[in-house]
Amino acid sequence: MEKWEIEKLIARFNEGVADPSEVKLLEQWMEEGAVEPTQLRELDQMHDRLLKSAEALPSLRLDDSFYSMLAQEKKETAKSRFRFQWPDWNMLFTRLAFAVVLIAAGFAGGYFLQRPAGGDTPDVKRLTQEVSDLKEMMMLSLLEKESATERLRAVSLTNDMPEVSAKVTNALFETLNNDENVNVRLAALEALKPYVQDGNVRKMLVRSIGKQDSPLVQVELATLMVELQEKKSVKELRKLLENESTPSEIKTKIKESIQVLI
Amino acid sequence: MIKVRDGDLDKLGLLFERYKKPLYGFFYGMNRDQDLSEDLVQNTFFRIMKYRHLFRGDGDFKTWMFHIARNVRHDHFRKDKLKAKDDVDKWQDRLGHDENRSTEMQQDEEEQMLSMAMDRLPADKREILLLSKYQDKKYKEIGEIMGCSEGAVKVKVFRALQELKVVFQQLEKRM
Repeated sequence: MEKWEIEKLIARFNEGVADPSEVKLLEQWMEEGAVEPTQLRELDQMHDRLLKSAEALPSLRLDDSFYSMLAQEKKETAKSRFRFQWPDWNMLFTRLAFAVVLIAAGFAGGYFLQRPAGGDTPDVKRLTQEVSDLKEMMMLSLLEKESATERLRAVSLTNDMPEVSAKVTNALFETLNNDENVNVRLAALEALKPYVQDGNVRKMLVRSIGKQDSPLVQVELATLMVELQEKKSVKELRKLLENESTPSEIKTKIKESIQVLI
Repeated sequence: MIKVRDGDLDKLGLLFERYKKPLYGFFYGMNRDQDLSEDLVQNTFFRIMKYRHLFRGDGDFKTWMFHIARNVRHDHFRKDKLKAKDDVDKWQDRLGHDENRSTEMQQDEEEQMLSMAMDRLPADKREILLLSKYQDKKYKEIGEIMGCSEGAVKVKVFRALQELKVVFQQLEKRM
């Protein structure tokens, strides 16, 4: 076929005057690659409109069922076999960091036990502070990891810290509000519980209610608010009630919490 | 996906987050049933997880995923033909009731008509158009999903668009 023949046929089709035999010929050329669907003006516009049309969105039920399925599979995989794997460098670095922290903690402990009472207390304090700083640093770096397990480990590191800095609580709130994994968010909330006496932590916990889309975290936060008798949270909890995407059973639980708080 | 295949199951969560919406959009476009579409997305990811060792890694993950999605949908309707009939009845019933579109996003009138026109197309034509939407008009990949040549896909899309245009114009006249 000649180029002008193709163009003529496309023009006839675009004008809406092509007869069935011509349409069949057009299909044949299309199959052979001589004609592209984009050359058929009106149809291409309709195709583009279809491509840009709004999409229906799944509910949170899908997220919950997928992540439970994934957790179940991980458990079964871990149980069913033990495989030797060469460690990757990323993993090796994390383990080395752990080892360094443990050794430093051992030195600090040994140093403290060997000293007579009333000895070099400032040195011990300095060493303890260094270990604590190291832990903080490791926790913050682990929180950046892609793997949810690593991030869970980071959150659990705060259990060993007698005192945490604002940097750590901020990182925990960042995780609570934005982490893609529900389990990590729940662990961050658990890790924040020892610091609820701090007015700022309580204020940020209240603010966090509105940022949660997982029913599990919403319920956990509502329960905590009741335990703390935090009346300021009522406004945020009411917002969840007004939100259409909040599941009905969660709304019932939140209503109960509000009743207790009022 | 290669990392998932090699045992890093956490990465499947990333793939799920990236592709749950197009996959759901594909199923919802085919059956207009929210619960069923979510179940089919879940089943698709279940198969991806179970058969992860079969992913060769030489092709596109999205293409492989839609290939599985089509099989999941076919199996669902083949397994329970009675239910499929019931679904078709429900689906036809839904065509007349726009209030059943509550899960859809706010659409302007034209977009709503386009969506109604899509609902009136036969399943095979609706499927090819939905695949072209979620595969961004990549006809070669759609050919791999459907097991036909790139040229054949173009012709199928062409025919489906022609029919869509006719139905759309009919709806326009009725409005």
